[in-house]
Amino acid sequence: MSDWEPKIVAFLCNWCSYAGADLAGVSRIQYPPNVRVVRVPCSGRVNPLFVLKSLENGFDGVLVSGCHPGDCHYISGNYIARRKFATLKTALEFIGVEPGRVQFSWVSAGEGEKFAQVVARVTEDVRKLGPAKRLVKTIGGGQ
Amino acid sequence: MSSSLRIAKPDLDQLVSALTSRYRLFGPVDVDGSTVLREVKSADELALGAALDGSVKAAFFPQTETLLTYDGTVSEAPSGRDKPTAVIGARPCDARSLLLLDKVFGTGKYWDPLWQRRHDDSLVIGLGCSAPLETCFCNLMGSGPFDAEGSDIMLTDIGDAFVAESCTDKGERFLKTAYKSQVQRPSQADLDKAGEARSKALASLAPAANYSGVKTALAKLWDSALWDEIALGCLSCGACAYLCPTCHCFDVQDETAPGTQQGRRVRIWDTCQSALFTKEASGHNPRPSAKDRIRQRVMHKFSYFVDNYGEAACVGCGRCIRLCPVDFDVRVVLERVIAEGRRTKDKERGTKKDVRHAG
Amino acid sequence: MLLKDKKADLVIGYERGSSKRRARPVVIRADKDVDRLIFDDTCGPSLVPFARKALRATPLGTRVAVVAKGCDGRALVQQIAEGQFKRDQVVMIGVGCNGVTDHRRGASGEKREASCERCRYPNPPVYDVFVGEPVAAGTGDEFAGVAEFEKLASADRWAWFEHELGKCIRCYACRNACPMCYCEECVVDQTNPLWLGKSAERPDTTLFHLVRALHTAGRCVDCGACERACPLGVRLALLNKRLEREVRERFGYTAGLSMEATPALATYSEEDKQEFML
Repeated sequence: MSDWEPKIVAFLCNWCSYAGADLAGVSRIQYPPNVRVVRVPCSGRVNPLFVLKSLENGFDGVLVSGCHPGDCHYISGNYIARRKFATLKTALEFIGVEPGRVQFSWVSAGEGEKFAQVVARVTEDVRKLGPAKRLVKTIGGGQ
Repeated sequence: MSSSLRIAKPDLDQLVSALTSRYRLFGPVDVDGSTVLREVKSADELALGAALDGSVKAAFFPQTETLLTYDGTVSEAPSGRDKPTAVIGARPCDARSLLLLDKVFGTGKYWDPLWQRRHDDSLVIGLGCSAPLETCFCNLMGSGPFDAEGSDIMLTDIGDAFVAESCTDKGERFLKTAYKSQVQRPSQADLDKAGEARSKALASLAPAANYSGVKTALAKLWDSALWDEIALGCLSCGACAYLCPTCHCFDVQDETAPGTQQGRRVRIWDTCQSALFTKEASGHNPRPSAKDRIRQRVMHKFSYFVDNYGEAACVGCGRCIRLCPVDFDVRVVLERVIAEGRRTKDKERGTKKDVRHAG
Repeated sequence: MLLKDKKADLVIGYERGSSKRRARPVVIRADKDVDRLIFDDTCGPSLVPFARKALRATPLGTRVAVVAKGCDGRALVQQIAEGQFKRDQVVMIGVGCNGVTDHRRGASGEKREASCERCRYPNPPVYDVFVGEPVAAGTGDEFAGVAEFEKLASADRWAWFEHELGKCIRCYACRNACPMCYCEECVVDQTNPLWLGKSAERPDTTLFHLVRALHTAGRCVDCGACERACPLGVRLALLNKRLEREVRERFGYTAGLSMEATPALATYSEEDKQEFML
C-alpha cells in the first residue's frame, strides 16, 4: 500500500478546461501525473452518474472542470452544471462519502497555471484521504 | 414412527447449536421491525413470533449468486462445498413452497445444480402458525397453518415451550442424534395445548373459498378486458415477486471489472413485472404494458405452473397482499377471474385457444 | 357529483382495502360507486402514479379527478410545472390530511409516519373542490431529523446508509410508488450501456438510491410514499429531505408550490453560490 498513488479522473470541458490542460502541457508546467482526462463537450454534459460510476469503478477522486461563469461556449451549460454539482456534492457528503473525493473547478483556456494548481490540490486532498473504499464495487473478489 | 419432544423456550439454543454444528442455519431475524431470513448462529437472534417478510427461498436460491468467476481464459465455478442448509422457523406455507420450487429446480429434465446441492440434504424445521394473519390464505391453496408438508420437523408454540415433532425420517434422525440423552417428552397437557393452538388457528382463517375454477376460467380470459381493470390497481413493482416464496425467475449477468478481464457471472432474481424482463435485443417488447405483465404473473402461477407441475405456484402466504405498497389483493383477482370466466362461458363459447406460453 | 355533472370522467381515490387498517387506490367511473370512496389516515399510497396511468390510458380530453391530500396535491402541481400534463386535465379534490399511518407500524389512529410528522403542507396548494376542513400546518423545524443526522461523523453516516441500503431487494416499489419517478425508462432499466449493476448487493443498491435521490432533488415533495412502499422498511426519505433543504437554501425553491416556477435544477441564476468551486 505504501506505493499507492491516487487515481483521479478529470472531466474537462472541451472549450475551456481541456484547453487549459493543454496550455499547461505546452507551457511545460509540472503537475502530478495522477489524473486521467476525459474530454466532454461542456461541464453541463457531466451527468452526476459519471461521477458515481467513476467512484464505483475504483477512481480515488473525481474532478469536474468547466468554463468560468459567463464564459460557457453554450451560454449556460456551466450554470446548470453548478446547480447539479452543488446537489451532488451535498448528497455524497451526506451519505458519508469523504469531502474532497469529488471536486469541481472553473479553469479557462488561458489558465494553464491554474489547471496545474487545481490538479495538485485535488491530488493532495485525495492522497490524504487514502484509497477510496466507499461506493467502490469490487468484482471477482467474492461476496 | 414420528417422535415428539418438548423444548422449553430457554433451551432452544441447544437445538440451534445442534443445527449450526451440522448445517448452515437460516432463520427469521428482526431487522428494524422487518422480519427477514438471515443466517443465524444462536437462538437469541431468532424472531420466531413474527411473520417472515422475506421468504425462505433465499436460503436455497439467494437473490444474488455468483455462478462462476473468470479472469481472461480461466473460468471456474465457486469452489468449496458449504455445509448443508437448514432452515428454522419456516411457516407451513414457506415449507411447502420449497417443494414447489424443487419441482422447478430439483427434478425433471432440467435441474439446477446449485439448488440441488443446497436442497437435497437440507433440513427444514417448520413452525406451526398459531396466529394466522388477515392476509393468510394457505387454507385456500390446499394446505393449512399446521400442514407438515415440506417440513422435516414441526414446532408448535405452546407458550413456554415448543412441541417438536418429526415429520420425515430425516427429521426423526436429526432429533435422535441431537437429543441423545436428555429428551423431555411432552406431557398430555402439552399435547392438548398444541392441539388447541391448531384448532384455534384453523378457525381463525377465512372459510375456504373455492379456487378450483381458476384454471378453466383463465384459459378463456387471455383477451379479457378484466386485465386492464386489474392492472389499474398495480404499481408494476417487483415487491410481490421478490417476497413470494414460489416466484423463481432470474436473470444472468456478466460483470467485468473495467479495464480487466476479471469478472463474474451472477444470477439475480428477476420479475415479470419489470418491463425489462421480456425486452428483446431489437427493442421489441412482447409484454409492453402493465396489463400484459400482471396477466403473466397470474397466468404463470395459476395456469402454466399447473400445466407443468400439476399444482398452482401459490401457497397462500399472503405476503404479496400484506407487503404490497397499494394493497393489491390476489384473492380478489382470483374471485374476479372466476366470475368473469363464468360470464365469458355464457357469452362466447370457444374463445380462441391461447397459444402463447409461459416465460 | 363531479361525475354526474360531467366535470370529470373518472375519479381516482381510495377504498377500504384488505383490512380495516388499509386503503387501496380505486378508479371510480360511475356515480353509484362514489360511496366506495374513503379518506382517513390509512390512505397512505400516493395517487399520483395512478392519475398518470389513467391520463395515459384514456383519450385526450379525459378529465381525471384525483383525491389530493397535501403532498399528492403538491406532486400534481410539480408535474404540471414539469409539463407532464395540463392543469385542466385533472380535477383536484382537495382534502386536509392529518397524517397517515402505516398498517405495519401500528393500527389506524396510532402513529403517524415520519414524513407526516414533519409535514408543513397538509392541504393541497391548488384544488378545484375541497372536501372537509383544511388542516392546520405543523410547526417547528421540518429539517430537525436531517440536522440531527448531520451531527454524526462521516463514517457513521456511511455506516447508517450501508445498513439501510443493505436491506434493499431492488423491487423498485419505492420508485414505482413515487409520484415524481415517472421516467419512461429508468436508468436502472437501461442496458446499453448497463449503468448500474442489477444485484441486491452494495454498492449496486447504494448507487440506485443515490441516483434516485439526485433525480428527485428539488422535485421531491416528501410525501413518504417511498418509505411506506418499501416492503423491508428502508428509510429512504432522509437523503431526499437533505437535498430538499439544500435546494431551498441554495436556490430558493420548494417543489410543488407553483405551477409556473421553473424547477430548480432545470434553471440557474448567475448569482448562485459557488463556494465549493476551486
